[in-house]
Amino acid sequence: MLQARNLPFVRRLAHSPRLMYSGLAMLGALLLLALFFVALFFLALSHGPIPLALADVWQSLLNAVSAADIHSQGDWVVRELRLPRALMAMVIGAGLAVAGVVTQGIFRNPLADPGLIGVSSGAALAAVAVIVLSNGALAFWVEWTGVFALPLAAFIGALLVSLIIYRLGTVNGQTQVAMLLLAGVAINVIAGALTGILTYVADDQQLRSMTFWSMGSLAYGRWPEIGALLVCVVLPLLWLPRFSRLLNALLMGEAVASHLGFNVQRGKFLLLAAAALMVGASVAVAGMIGFIGLVVPHLMRLLLGPDHRQLLPASMLCGATLLLLADLIARSWLAPADLPVGLIMAIMGGPVFLLLLLQQIKSARAG
Amino acid sequence: MIRVNNLCLELGSKVILQRVSLDIKAGKKLAVLGANGAGKSTLLKCITQEENRYSGGIYLADNDIRQYPAAERARIMGVMPQKTELAFPFRAQQVVAMGRIPYGDEMRCDALIRDAMLCTDVWHLRHRLYPQLSGGEQQRVQLARVLLQIWQPHKEQPRFLLLDECTSALDPAHQHAVMSVADRFAQQGVAVLAVMHDVALAASWADDIIMLKHGQVLASGGVELLQQAALLQQAYDLEASLASRYAHQNQQWASFN
Repeated sequence: MLQARNLPFVRRLAHSPRLMYSGLAMLGALLLLALFFVALFFLALSHGPIPLALADVWQSLLNAVSAADIHSQGDWVVRELRLPRALMAMVIGAGLAVAGVVTQGIFRNPLADPGLIGVSSGAALAAVAVIVLSNGALAFWVEWTGVFALPLAAFIGALLVSLIIYRLGTVNGQTQVAMLLLAGVAINVIAGALTGILTYVADDQQLRSMTFWSMGSLAYGRWPEIGALLVCVVLPLLWLPRFSRLLNALLMGEAVASHLGFNVQRGKFLLLAAAALMVGASVAVAGMIGFIGLVVPHLMRLLLGPDHRQLLPASMLCGATLLLLADLIARSWLAPADLPVGLIMAIMGGPVFLLLLLQQIKSARAG
Repeated sequence: MIRVNNLCLELGSKVILQRVSLDIKAGKKLAVLGANGAGKSTLLKCITQEENRYSGGIYLADNDIRQYPAAERARIMGVMPQKTELAFPFRAQQVVAMGRIPYGDEMRCDALIRDAMLCTDVWHLRHRLYPQLSGGEQQRVQLARVLLQIWQPHKEQPRFLLLDECTSALDPAHQHAVMSVADRFAQQGVAVLAVMHDVALAASWADDIIMLKHGQVLASGGVELLQQAALLQQAYDLEASLASRYAHQNQQWASFN
């Protein structure tokens, strides 16, 4: 017979219900993740073309908190380059991971993420349209919105796609999961085609900006972007844990959730809007960064189980950690070149996703 | 008690329910019967407010059901669906604990969860992953969740248990076990309404029946109605010989009631 103590830690966790249930084990796992996150954060601030001592980084952070004047080159590097970039990685990572958890909960499909249902590509299409048509058809938009042209367009694109998909997939007030997913596929195809057409009318300069941007990068993260992310990502992040129970109930279907006393249609709409807001803002600021919304919830479910009361905060932490790590790799791997972080995420996330798929197939066969 | 008064539902040009009325008193068990497509499940959906485009009235303890906030309704009405899809790897015990969501105390009611799981014979499965359970085991876990929702009276209010063909995935032993759990709740004063496919099971279990055909009430009254071959013949479009065989069978089942 299989003895639990002969198995590696993570599998032992899954094999032993008592361990899975134990709040202590969950707390331990989260604590380890948190420690890793803090270590990465300081590494991200100290590591780079100009290496800085941890003591200097700490001093710069204190200076930043007390809003003291910038007094040295190292201080400037930390406070104007690395800190906003690290904060952006954390917020976007957490936001995309939680948006993944939310969409997977609404669609009751562990493989659904904002990329899959077309929210990301809707945001991307809107932003690419603004880049390419800023001197033509959309000149008025740029004139009206100024520096917010791109983020606003991406957010509107994400929200529009969410609403269209929500309408398409809701028949007589009930969500048809298959319809939603198929509508997502269709929107992805349409948005991809339109983006493709736009690349043909773009000039060289625009094309470079688009390519770079569509691969996702945190290189342009400065304080104004952080401000936008605080409103569009951090607020929903703080607000979403209130919906943990609804998300748990929704996994058993909308009818069961309504029998359990939830106003399902309203809750679902709010959840979709929150996810669209987080994805739209992230795409606008950092471009398309995939896989976080897919891989992080999977990993966290494997470790902590599917209960959203633990899954939401854990995915926040894990998403923040993962994108911080990916960005650190992106800017150090071929330094001084700054690789798009979307590529690193795809390289890191793709195989993990495949591995998870294989595991699912295996367990389905075994079951 | 639950009172349904002149319930009509038309979707597009299709009439789904027509002047359906029924009464279930506290402590009574009503079986809703009828052929496929007769409107049984839709009637249940109206009572649970999943379908609210009906005309006519549905009353819980003399109050219009539409006046109850959803959360309040969930504390007095447990609904057991025909089938519950759950692909995510919750433990059986976690699924049952969701029955306390309307009270917000899932983490602090281990004893109640244990009682509900013992009641439907799934306590030994509590650590198993839900998607890996058999269809019948999943059904019993879900029933424990639903029972937990109305396990105790909430502020002395009446309680209601609605079952939608919930024994379809169960073997005969567990079918009767589930129905006897419903009996136990009825004895505590819970009004039980069960949409049923199995006429024999209804004959052995219910106090009253209501027979639907094409969205209308064909007959309603005591369970002994199921011993009338003519009614069964009309309700299910059965051949006369088959109908009388079923009626005879129901007579035997009724003697166990």
